[in-house]
Amino acid sequence: MLEDLTAAGPLRAFLISADEAFVRQVQGIWPDTCIQWMVFDRAGAAVEQLFSDPPALLVSDAQLPDMTGDALVTLVKSENVYSQVAVVLCLPNEALHAGRDWSTLEADDFVLLPFEQEEFKARIELTLARMTRTLDANPLTRLPGNTTIIQFIKDNIEKRRDFALGYVDLDNFKAFNDKYGFLRGDEALMMAARVIVNTVRSFPGGMNFVGHVGGDDFVFALPLDTVEAACRRLIARFDAIVPSFYDAEDRERGSIVSNDRRGEVQTFPLMSVSIAVVCNRDGSLGHYAEASAIASQLKKKAKENFASCFVIDQRAG
Amino acid sequence: MTQDMRTAYKGRVLAVKNLPTLPKVLEEVTRLMEDPGTSTEQIAKVITYDQVLSAKVLKMVNSPIYGFPGRISSIQHALVLLGFNVVRGLIISTSVFDDMNKAMAGLWDHSVGCALACGEIAKILGMKDPEEYAVAGLLHDLGKVVSAVQLPEIKPELEALVRARDITFLEAEKSLLGFGHDRVNAWLAEHWNLPPNISEAIAYHHKPLSAQLYTKYACVVHIGDFLTRVYEFGNGGDDNVPVFQPHAMKLLGLNQRALENVLDALSDAFLEAADISFS
Ligand SMILES: [Fe+2]
Ligand SMILES: [Fe+2]
Repeated sequence: MLEDLTAAGPLRAFLISADEAFVRQVQGIWPDTCIQWMVFDRAGAAVEQLFSDPPALLVSDAQLPDMTGDALVTLVKSENVYSQVAVVLCLPNEALHAGRDWSTLEADDFVLLPFEQEEFKARIELTLARMTRTLDANPLTRLPGNTTIIQFIKDNIEKRRDFALGYVDLDNFKAFNDKYGFLRGDEALMMAARVIVNTVRSFPGGMNFVGHVGGDDFVFALPLDTVEAACRRLIARFDAIVPSFYDAEDRERGSIVSNDRRGEVQTFPLMSVSIAVVCNRDGSLGHYAEASAIASQLKKKAKENFASCFVIDQRAG
Repeated sequence: MTQDMRTAYKGRVLAVKNLPTLPKVLEEVTRLMEDPGTSTEQIAKVITYDQVLSAKVLKMVNSPIYGFPGRISSIQHALVLLGFNVVRGLIISTSVFDDMNKAMAGLWDHSVGCALACGEIAKILGMKDPEEYAVAGLLHDLGKVVSAVQLPEIKPELEALVRARDITFLEAEKSLLGFGHDRVNAWLAEHWNLPPNISEAIAYHHKPLSAQLYTKYACVVHIGDFLTRVYEFGNGGDDNVPVFQPHAMKLLGLNQRALENVLDALSDAFLEAADISFS
């Protein structure tokens, strides 16, 4: 079953463990033509490579000399760009009965040590296969897609939680795409995704969710009291970074000049962000559809402004 | 110097995995990151005192996995895009120099000095992104660090040659390795997908007029490097000042008046920097 995955050459895998006997055992399971292991005895030695050139598979010992395997898994799994790495954590047998909360395990699977070779092999292969059919993540940004977004909103409305939903989109994205092509457009979307993810995450309060509806539309959720500051920070960051995505000439001028279909010259400013924020205060949102209806009304308001801006839904709760 | 040896050296240089750095900046960034109230601006400010950490941050954010290779040349922007989580990972993966390499501490000061000088020149010339000129200045001698780490046996030979023949470090590198640190810079920049402005500036800082697209960047770094040496801020690996190309000033339109302004601003900036030196 590994054949499909290794058709283009051996799978790159990282094995992080200070236990030499364990490492030898793992290396003996698959032929080199199938899985190529890079072995690290400490997490620190692996992290930089893990981040700049991630492997398809990461197998880590739960106890490492410089950090716990759990911490390493969190480091990898909390980033949208690395979520496609299959991560398997190797736990000592006792861990099974230690009463840990398994729902918080961020690894894709775990293996108990000492392991039985056939089981280890089966688990790894199943995990790898599962990664290729994950949920509804956006294929470009790997952020959760529509199904997850709708489920998230429904859940929180049902539980009558207070929260603010930010609907983000990029102004003048089409002009950018038309001039530079869709690959450069994807670059801008990846940048926008990182700016939104890291800005939302920089605010405390737990509920930080970012989803990618598709194209240049994103959604995030934050507690009501932080959303305004978050919008300001998001806009400041996006506006500061976006010029780097244009060619020197356009950046210098601060706009794109192009001819429309009738041959008339048109000028488009650099991309900016519009954010429409819908609030759920004391159960003010009745159901999911209401959220998107309010958002699209607010969007119109936000779009009247050429610069980056946000509009917060001010209905009394 | 045979072609084979040069190729072998190049291979070893580009195989660089973990660049070590000086402990002070590492400690300071770690301390800042423990405080949830720390802003990216604060962290960026400290990181720009360290050429190795800055290079790592730019290498990471410009790696293809993030989806926009070669776009980001500002440390501040890089930190926003990477996020604290990834930066923390980078800090964990960075080790500290061993005693042998501590001898290079002067090169850290030289790099910080050059960054300051480039920033000031860019400001006085009214350039749009003085911070990015400063980054180019900071990284201009990175090739020296990478060579020292990857080719440790060459370093004592280089130093001996510089002393014996009273030549510049660059000339010694060329005669022993077949290439200088400017070449190493060009290879690294390509290998790490660094943006073209930084790439050209560091690859051409010794012959700025040969830079094609970002000649101004190369000229600013060339002058910044020279001024840092004249002020004897830090140490670039040898005692003689690099060969200066006056045409670089002409190309930038840096006249006597503007130069004097740069020199004034630099005296202040260097004094201030000496107080917060991390090396
Ligand atoms: Fe140099
Ligand atoms: Fe220099």
